[in-house]
Amino acid sequence: MPVPPPAPAAPLTLSGTYFDGRSSQPWPATLETGPGGRATLTLAGPGPSPEPAAPLHWPAAALRAEPALPGLRRVIRLPGGGRFETGDEAGVRALEARTRQNRVLGGVRRLEGSWALTLGATAALGLFVWGFLTFGLPALARSTAAVTPVAVLETFDRESVRLLDTDDFLAPSRLSAARQAQLRREFARVSAWAGGGYRYRLLLRDGEPAHAPFALGANAFALPGGTVVMTDQLVALARSDRELMGVLAHETGHVTRRHGLASVYQGLGLALLGTAVTGDLVGAATFAAAVPSTLLQNGYSRRAETEADERAGAYLLRAYGTTRPLRDILARLEAQDRAGEGGPEPQDSASPGDLLRTHPGTAQRLAHLREIENAAR
Amino acid sequence: MSLPTDPAPVSLGKDPPDAAPDANTANGPVAAQVQVFPAHFSGQAGEYFRLWLVNLALSVVTLGLYLPWARVRNRQYLYGHTWVDGHNFEYAANPWALLRGYLLVGVFFGAYSAATQLQFSGWEWVAGPVALIFVLAYPWLVRQSLRFLARSTVHRGLSFGFGGSLGGAYMAYGVANVAAGVSFGLALPLAWYAQRDYQVRGLRYGAATGRFRGGPGGLYLIGLTALGLTVGGGLIVGVLSTLGAVLLRSGQTAPFGDEFGDILEQPGVLAGIVATYLGFLVLYMVGWQYVRAATLRYVLNHFELGGVVRARATFSTARLVWIGVSNAAAQLVSLGLLTPWATVRRARYVAAHTQVLSLVDLGTFVAGPAAPAGALGEAATELLDINLGF
Repeated sequence: MPVPPPAPAAPLTLSGTYFDGRSSQPWPATLETGPGGRATLTLAGPGPSPEPAAPLHWPAAALRAEPALPGLRRVIRLPGGGRFETGDEAGVRALEARTRQNRVLGGVRRLEGSWALTLGATAALGLFVWGFLTFGLPALARSTAAVTPVAVLETFDRESVRLLDTDDFLAPSRLSAARQAQLRREFARVSAWAGGGYRYRLLLRDGEPAHAPFALGANAFALPGGTVVMTDQLVALARSDRELMGVLAHETGHVTRRHGLASVYQGLGLALLGTAVTGDLVGAATFAAAVPSTLLQNGYSRRAETEADERAGAYLLRAYGTTRPLRDILARLEAQDRAGEGGPEPQDSASPGDLLRTHPGTAQRLAHLREIENAAR
Repeated sequence: MSLPTDPAPVSLGKDPPDAAPDANTANGPVAAQVQVFPAHFSGQAGEYFRLWLVNLALSVVTLGLYLPWARVRNRQYLYGHTWVDGHNFEYAANPWALLRGYLLVGVFFGAYSAATQLQFSGWEWVAGPVALIFVLAYPWLVRQSLRFLARSTVHRGLSFGFGGSLGGAYMAYGVANVAAGVSFGLALPLAWYAQRDYQVRGLRYGAATGRFRGGPGGLYLIGLTALGLTVGGGLIVGVLSTLGAVLLRSGQTAPFGDEFGDILEQPGVLAGIVATYLGFLVLYMVGWQYVRAATLRYVLNHFELGGVVRARATFSTARLVWIGVSNAAAQLVSLGLLTPWATVRRARYVAAHTQVLSLVDLGTFVAGPAAPAGALGEAATELLDINLGF
């Protein structure tokens, strides 16, 4: 935009009402802005004293025009606490242009004035919200998760395990001590490969205790700090330990890519946004309280699953030369799940782990694992 | 807990500039020349909707950073369209100060919610102090809030002010609330009274100070009426739902299943439970809207300023309750889109049935000593506004 020359503008005269800021008495007055950038206020009639009041002078730049509001007279704040009200919208606009005030809020006022612009703004808003929730917030959450110190992750693990154990989601494993030790030894190889400075540990638990609010069933999931939980039911479902190691490698993929923390941040971000927009802390607090359970029940995005599968595929190829073990157990899990849905005890909502999070995607996941294997040949 | 009424209960407005100075009204303080200035709200639902929506959109797009400006503009519209004696009110808060307040609040709330949600080691040492500070400082924050709100309200070029003492705030918002709590609500109307009295007595317009002519009795009457409404309504809802259950059971051909799940699968039963729940929800709304409307009416009718100005409310409490309840229903059904319409509808009704009675010309008020109000007070306002926002 070209800088306007110091305008030798024509004098601008507004007529309206003056308040001196010290009493509630209105005075009819005129406010004149001369060519020299000098503003003069003159009372139209007699002032408080019988003799005519002397005109008041300020530099025009010291006048503060209040932003326009629909249906209301314009207000100009004067130095010293006085104010001048006028119905001369065009005049005040000229003054605003001359002193370069309210450019942003003047634009807001234009938006507010038209139905078409208002509805356009609403559509833009909807588009923005959609875009932010779909791309912006996840990206923000991922990058925040990436820079979170490991100490925070470990606290998160500790609290989550405490919650899972005290709320009866999980019971102590029924596997023999020898079997548990064997699985841990094998997991140590996986976790050594996964690396990243996390304190990995494998927790074996019974996923179907008697009083559980819902049964986890055959499942495995990773907490952000490196704690991986695997249920006895999954161990029973596996036909070989290779399959189990495929699953565990998948879980270490969630850990190293920090998917768990990212989804927590995503939930917190939603709550924060809700607060900012509605100004309602209570609603946001309620929402925030639901974050841990959201994490449990919604699991990860398909993108996160793909990333974790790629890590698992890399491990399996390196250890066994094939991605087949993970494909086998995934296919068996889905078959079991499908049978379960038709059976007497539906368990769809009862599966909060992440292994089969993206139901319709299992076929693609199997295909992708096969691709990984083919690519390695 | 306290039920804050509209924080600016004195935002009366009025229009025709040619208010006759003839004294034909009773109810005045003395049998002198009482002028009556009816209030008037000139906002339009469609116009306000556009303003509200545009500002909401800008708040969202800026991730909340524009929120102070949105808030100020909304209030400026509502204040600016409220008229008394040909002059409108003005909301003159500084959005930059509000933004500072939001950021301060954001830091505190963020620390608190992160501490309680993530429970990292030592989280009690973050959440505890924040909660303690809030509880201990609550009355002080209320006072800062009232100061800021009053100072931001302007009429006829003269700003309102609030001169309530800090001790008074701790009595009205600390001691009285605790008393209401430990007395199982018996002292609740007393706390309402103490709070309204504190609000009105602290009010200044120029050098003129407010006075509350009401007493605790009036608020006890409101509390008892609300209790009666709720209990009576609760009985009706209870009887109706029992009747419904009995009718449903007699219509049952097969005997009831033994399992609870079977009962719930009857569509009528589920509908009955939902209807009962809705009944109690509406009842709660009516009770709370009644307290709000009746208190507003009571405060307006017992308000006095500088010994020369009084207010008079002629609106019907029942009608205002209806407006409140139907507004809430409309907002719920429209997912909040009818909020501007609801706001304008209520403001218009209240203003149209409110008058200002004055013994003197309204142009004769002069400024008093200006009390300073710093940015921290403005921050506190927002903190409270968020927490008390209804």
